[in-house]
Amino acid sequence: MSQRDFPRGLEVPSPCVNVCQMDEQKGLCRGCYRTIDEIAHWSVLDADEKRVVWRAIELRRRAIG
Amino acid sequence: MRLPARIRVLERGWLSANNVLLVEGAAATLVDSGYVGHVEQTLALVEHALEGRQLTRLVNTHCHSDHMGGNARIAARHGCPITIPEGEAGSIDRWDERELILGYADQRADRFRYDDLIAPGETIEMGGLEWDVHAAPGHDAGAVVFFSPDEGVLISGDALWQNGFGVVFGALLGNDAACVEARDTLDRIAALDARVVIPGHGAVFADVDDAIERARNRLAHYESSLDKLARHCVKALFTYALLDRRAMPLDAIEDYLGRVPVYVDLNRDFIGLERAAFARWLVADLERAGVVGREGGNLIPRIKA
Repeated sequence: MSQRDFPRGLEVPSPCVNVCQMDEQKGLCRGCYRTIDEIAHWSVLDADEKRVVWRAIELRRRAIG
Repeated sequence: MRLPARIRVLERGWLSANNVLLVEGAAATLVDSGYVGHVEQTLALVEHALEGRQLTRLVNTHCHSDHMGGNARIAARHGCPITIPEGEAGSIDRWDERELILGYADQRADRFRYDDLIAPGETIEMGGLEWDVHAAPGHDAGAVVFFSPDEGVLISGDALWQNGFGVVFGALLGNDAACVEARDTLDRIAALDARVVIPGHGAVFADVDDAIERARNRLAHYESSLDKLARHCVKALFTYALLDRRAMPLDAIEDYLGRVPVYVDLNRDFIGLERAAFARWLVADLERAGVVGREGGNLIPRIKA
């Protein structure tokens, strides 16, 4: 999913896909490709900050394949 | 909307309820512990959010697998006591897999011992705030919610979400008063006039009146037909199980629904479909809603958080 999927002013969906297990080597959740810090702070991020996290997820997904 | 800095919400999805960490000084209380299969990540999230503080108490809003599954491991790791609502004590003492909706619905939780009980009408100190404990029967007969009059913050568990509330299981499992209790719970919550709600699932929200209105409408919809409620319950529990399993062979679903007691009971008592037709209805309905999809010969979840 890319940033354009989340237009300005709309609620940005949570990346959580209910896998919720860490890949210790990569330091990322196996389900949503987020770091512990990103998951822990999700609830206090504003919409723009959430979009930045989604962008990071997209890049990691591509890099990991 | 902003919560006081002493309240930290660890928000994930369906399988793990939100974990609420309430900190004061060097100590912290955790409300709800998530699903047992996620407990390693929950431990890491809690440790991260503690920032070196000590976890001194673990409290549950109610004792379903997505709220109490991690209790045993988290309490063992941090050496902290566990507090549960008094109305849950009997089921937990007996570890009643039907009342707790565990094996009865193909769900899991690690068994734990609680150290003390809280009851509606009492107050509990968490994160340096006094929280009033209110009864919240409906979704779960023993459930409670926590309200801080000073901050206007409500920790609602599954009694109220931004869009709905947890399935009113009791209405389907022998408690004829469960829907009325759920309605009274919504009235009780409305009377609190909360500024912000921290729900058991989903984002923290401030449009509380709208959420209560939506919940009342939805409850009326189910009250008008237990068949509708039973179908909703089957879909919710099956989706939950599919998220846990990640995939289920399509040709095994009919057998699965014939083996897990809750589906047998609900189909027999409320829905009344022949076995194969029951499985076909369920899969078709979830597919139409975009909740599940097919991959190879498997049914997989498509639902996000």
